[in-house]
Parts: sequence; structure tokens; C-alpha cells
Amino acid sequence: MLSKGNQNMKLKSLLLATFFATGLNTAHAAEGELSIGTEGEYPPWSMADAAGNVTGFDADVGNLLCAKLEMKCHFVVQAFDGLIPALKAKRFDIIISGMSITAERKKQINFSVGYAELANMFVVKKDSNLAGVKDIETLLTSLDGRTVGVQAGTTHAHFMEKRASSAVLKTYDTLDQMQIDLASGRVEAAFADSSALQDFLGRPDGKDFQFVDVKVLSTFDPTLGEGIGVGIAQENTELKARIDKALCELVADGSIGKASQTWFKTDISRPCQ
Amino acid sequence: MELGLWQVWEGGWISAILRGAAITIALGMASMAIGVVIGVGCGLIKWARIFPLMLVVDFYTSVVRGVPELLIIYLLFFSSVEFVAQVAAAFGYEGLAGNGYAFTIAVVAIAAISGAYSTEVVRGALAAIPSGHIEAARALGIPGRRIFHRIIAPQMLRIAVPGMNNVWQTTIKDTALVSVVGLQELMRVAFVGAGSTRHPFIFYLIAALVYLAITLVSQGGFDWIERRLRPRTRK
Amino acid sequence: MDLELVFLAVPTLAKGLWLTAILTIASVAIGFNLGLALAVMRLSKNSAVSGFAKGYSTVFRGTPLLVQLFLFYYGLGQLSFVRDNAVLWWIIGDGVHCAVMALALNTAAYTSEILRGGLISIPGGLVEAAQACGMSRLLRFRRITFPLAIRQALPAYGNELVLVVKGTSLASTITVLEITGHAKRLMSQTYAILEVFAIAGLLYLLINLVLITLIRLLEARLTRHLPR
Repeated sequence: MLSKGNQNMKLKSLLLATFFATGLNTAHAAEGELSIGTEGEYPPWSMADAAGNVTGFDADVGNLLCAKLEMKCHFVVQAFDGLIPALKAKRFDIIISGMSITAERKKQINFSVGYAELANMFVVKKDSNLAGVKDIETLLTSLDGRTVGVQAGTTHAHFMEKRASSAVLKTYDTLDQMQIDLASGRVEAAFADSSALQDFLGRPDGKDFQFVDVKVLSTFDPTLGEGIGVGIAQENTELKARIDKALCELVADGSIGKASQTWFKTDISRPCQ
Repeated sequence: MELGLWQVWEGGWISAILRGAAITIALGMASMAIGVVIGVGCGLIKWARIFPLMLVVDFYTSVVRGVPELLIIYLLFFSSVEFVAQVAAAFGYEGLAGNGYAFTIAVVAIAAISGAYSTEVVRGALAAIPSGHIEAARALGIPGRRIFHRIIAPQMLRIAVPGMNNVWQTTIKDTALVSVVGLQELMRVAFVGAGSTRHPFIFYLIAALVYLAITLVSQGGFDWIERRLRPRTRK
Repeated sequence: MDLELVFLAVPTLAKGLWLTAILTIASVAIGFNLGLALAVMRLSKNSAVSGFAKGYSTVFRGTPLLVQLFLFYYGLGQLSFVRDNAVLWWIIGDGVHCAVMALALNTAAYTSEILRGGLISIPGGLVEAAQACGMSRLLRFRRITFPLAIRQALPAYGNELVLVVKGTSLASTITVLEITGHAKRLMSQTYAILEVFAIAGLLYLLINLVLITLIRLLEARLTRHLPR
């Protein structure tokens, strides 16, 4: 079957050509441009609208940073637990997505200095017997056997796995899904940062819920990280130096504090140490 | 209103859904086209039992057809497989906005899945061609290339159409899985809309209806092609 | 591949294996019976009955399983009459129950098409002969039509079972911790993407291999009277 042989030869060389074409060296993003990975579904940090434009605290930090570095910015929206893999695959240059700096993540990517920090809290139904708990140890032990919602891949998820492993953990790709399940009663409590949950409590479906009056800080457990930083690829040390310098200046001159006031009604910026 | 029809209209979601549907169709078509190329190539290899390549093709089709599509998509999206990044780069998507890049990776993932199913369809169609036709052509001294163009290819095409219809329907439905990793196609728009308006029912219902419209229209198209290709017989 | 990681990943993912098996078995058990009923309805002379079965199959085969799953879990979960109804909320309120329902309704549509093909393929003479012997309608179905249709449909149904196993992975998107759910969680802890997903993929291949072997054995048994 000569003809088939020929067909296959042709196909084979086509395949080979494709494979070799992919061997070409990947050039990095054009000079003076910075692509920023962000979740886009985490109000008030990062919200993408129907047209794909990103607003929120993360967007403000990104734009301030780019102005300082005199670079052009664009945002790439990506589910939170895919951000680090995507950064490593060079889908974008940096991550700005309210991401806490943790030891685990540092094994994968580099971080800028921490520029913000926020308390983490639980939200429960107003008539729940958890609502009145006042200290963290009691809270963690009384979560035994209860369903708790967290967002996948977050410090909150890792914290729960470590410190409240007897609770039934439900992980969600987005905070919206978690809040829908909290409102419908599929989960009894949700754990996230206070700003994100504040946003939920302000919505109509959050009216029957309240905070548990326990602020879980990163000083309580290191899985909660060392403040929020910009994620940078490990090999990109030159960029890290420039971003660190810019962030310290932006915190010092109050720009990040001002953005924080806009979105959180409080200053969550963290001075350079 | 509980259903949230007003929010769908007011939030500009209708145009977002239509844009998403366009991306879904484009993604489906691009993946299907590449999948058919893969399918014809691998199908020929399987049919002709070309030895070392056949093993590779067998491995490819058994893995892809035995592992959940979702897992394949997660793997391709999350892994730092340079391959995928470089395919995108080769097509000039370097540094472009996220959607172009995500679109390329999505095409690679869906085409790989679609290609495995196409391979089986093509192989089946080739096997269904009576060997007497080819033997007769050879006995008449028709050159190999012409046997392929005149005898094998036309018959294969006709026999493969219903199978390809199935592959296309599966492919267009598989594109919905790409939403989990962030490409702004139809399902993703519904997902974001459901989250931000808190009206999941209406958004997923609309998405389901749009998918249904796409599959029904393409079913009609395939029926038409099948009728056109049917050999005309005297009654 | 990092060995330490393999030792961590295999037992974790194997935990999900149970739920994947339960999801598959429960949805196939429900979906098969529903599919059989739909296939019989499809052949009914009453056009309303056959039309319903056709419409059902068109809708469920024409939309992605993921959309169906989200429509049931998040969509129906939003409606207050569903939440206030104990029975409905038992199904929709729980991720596993909801996934079983969605998978069962979905596979029923495909099963009905496969079984319909099997039912049509039965030669009219056989049924007429059974009629002439005085068999009742039900007995005819049980003794003649059904067994022959199953034998005819078995290879295609085997493929459908593989699709159900693969479909169970979507349950991970509604918080169910089956194999893919565990794999995703493990990925966000270790970032060992390739290793974790490769092991998960192997588990699915293993399940499907067992399933296909069982179907082949059953097929051989059902056709043991035929010359080879």
C-alpha cells in the first residue's frame, strides 16, 4: 500500500514540523509590559465584569505599581488555585490577588515584601451556637464534625486542614459559590478574610449571618502567612528587586493606604520591615 | 423577582452570553478541525498497522478515552508543560491578553480529546470499506495515490459522517469544561454571572438552552450533509 | 517522579476511589432503569409518550453534563420551594446525592438511545412466534425482547459505562471529594501537578479496564451459543 505509506510520511513530517516549531525559544513579555494574574471573583479585592475589566484593591495596587515602574499593565483572570501553576507556566509575569506569603508557596514562587495584612474570620448563622464563641481554641474544637466552607488553595483551606482537621471541609473554586452554599445552608460556617466576608454580610443573602468574634491572625499560625505580597517567578530576581522598592515607596507615601480606604474603609497596608 | 431575569438584562449579561457562545463555537470548531487532522492521521496509522507508530497511537487513544476530560484539562492548564506555552508562542500569542493565550491552551486540550475519538471513527470507517474495492483497483493497475483519492477517501468520508457528528457533539459539550480554568466561554460567563448576581438558576438555564440550540442546529447540518453524501441508487 | 510524593498521593487518591465507585454504581443503577423505561416509551404508539421520551433524550444529550450539574446543584438550590421541601432538599442539598441524580438523568438519556437500538434490532418473527405461543406481553418482554435487546446493546452500553465513570469526575466541581476532588486538593497542597494527576488518571484507567473486562466476559457468556 504505497499510497498509504506516502500519506503517513506526509503526516509524520507534518507532526514533526509541529513539534520542532514548538522547540523555538519562548521570548518573554515585551519590555515595558507587565501582565498580572488575578482571580477576578474575590470582592472587594479583585472583580472582573462581564467585559473582563478588573477592578478592586488588587487592580488598584497593580495599576499603582505599574505607574511607579513606568510599565504598561494588563490583567489575566484565573481561578485562585490555578494562579501559581499558571505563573510557573509563564501565563503572566506576576500575581496580585490578595495572596498571602506562606512557606509552602515560597517553595514554588518568589514573593515581594508584604504590603497588606488582614484578619481572617468565621461567618455563621445568627442562631448558630458558634455565634457567641469568643476564643480561638474553643472555636476550633467546637467545629468538630461540622461542615465548613473555604476557597480552594487558600491559606484558609490549609489552616483548616492543619488546625481543624475534624471539621468536614468543603472547598470551592470561587468565593461566590461558597457564599451561595452558606446562604442555602449546605455549609454551617465559612472561613475567609474579614473583608471578603464583610462583603457577603452586606448582601441580601447574608442578612441572617454574622461574624464569630474571633480574629485569626497570622501570628496565631504560620500557615496563615506573612501578609499579602506580589507573586513573582523564582528566576525573576531583577523584577522582584524593582517591585519591592516600588511597593515600599507606595506604602510609605500612603498610596496603598488610600486605595485600601476606598475598598475596605480601613487601612490594611503593611509598612516595609 | 426570585429568578433574576431583570438582573440578567440590566447587568449587560445578554451580550456577554452571546460573546461567550461565539467563543464556545469558535473553540469547538478549531478543536474539531485539528481533531479531524489528528483523527485521519492516527486512524490511517491504526488501520494500516504501521508498527512502532501504531503503539503510540494506541497509547494515546486509550489514555485519552479512559481518563476523565476534566482531569486532562486540569493537567494541561495547571502543569507548567512548556509544550503548551510554546505552541501558543508559535502562534504569536506571546504577551497577548489572557484570553488569546487561554484560548490556545483550550484548543490544544479539546483537540487532543476530540482527536482520540476521531481516530476511532476514521479507523472504523476505513475498516468498513470492502477490501475487494481496493484489490480490484490494484488489479486494474491504478496507482496507489489515485486509489486513495478515488476509492478510499470518498467512501471513508461518507461512512465517517455519522461518527463525526457524534464527535462534534461531544467536542462542543467538552468545551464547557474549559470554564473551570477561566476561559471566558459560554459556561464561564454563566458561572461568573451566577456568582455575581446570585441567580444561578436563570444563568445556567440560559446556558443550557444556548448549548441545546448549538447542538440542534449542528445536528440539522450533519443530517443535510449525510443526505447529500448518500449514494444515489436507482429505484 | 518523587517517590515520597507517590506514597502520599496513592492513599489519598484511593480514598476518593470509594466515592467514585459509589457514584458510578448508584447512578448506573438508577439510570439504567430510567433509560429502559424511556426506550420502551420511545417505541410507544402514543405520540405524546414517545415524544416525551425523544424530547428528554434530546435535551439531556444536547447539553453538557457540567451545565446540568450546576443547574441542579446551584440553580435548584437557589429556589426557596426546593429548600423548604424535605425530600427535594435531601437530593439537591447534598453534593453526592445531587451528583448521583445528575449523572443518572444524564446516562438515562444515552442508555435509552442504546437500548432503543437493541429493541429495534429484534426480528419481528421472534416476537410473533412468542405471541403465537400465547405468551403475555410482559412475559414476552422478559423472556424474548429484553434479553435479546441487551445482548445486542451490550458493547455500546459498555462504552456508556466508561463515560459515566469519567462523568463522575465532574462531581468534584460541586465539592464532592471523589478521585478528582482529592487530586485537586492535593495539587493545591503540593503543587506536584503532573504526579498527582498522573496517578489519578491511572486510577481511572484501572477502573475502566476492570469495567471493560467485566462487560467482555458478560458478552462472551451471553453469546456462548454462537459459533466462533
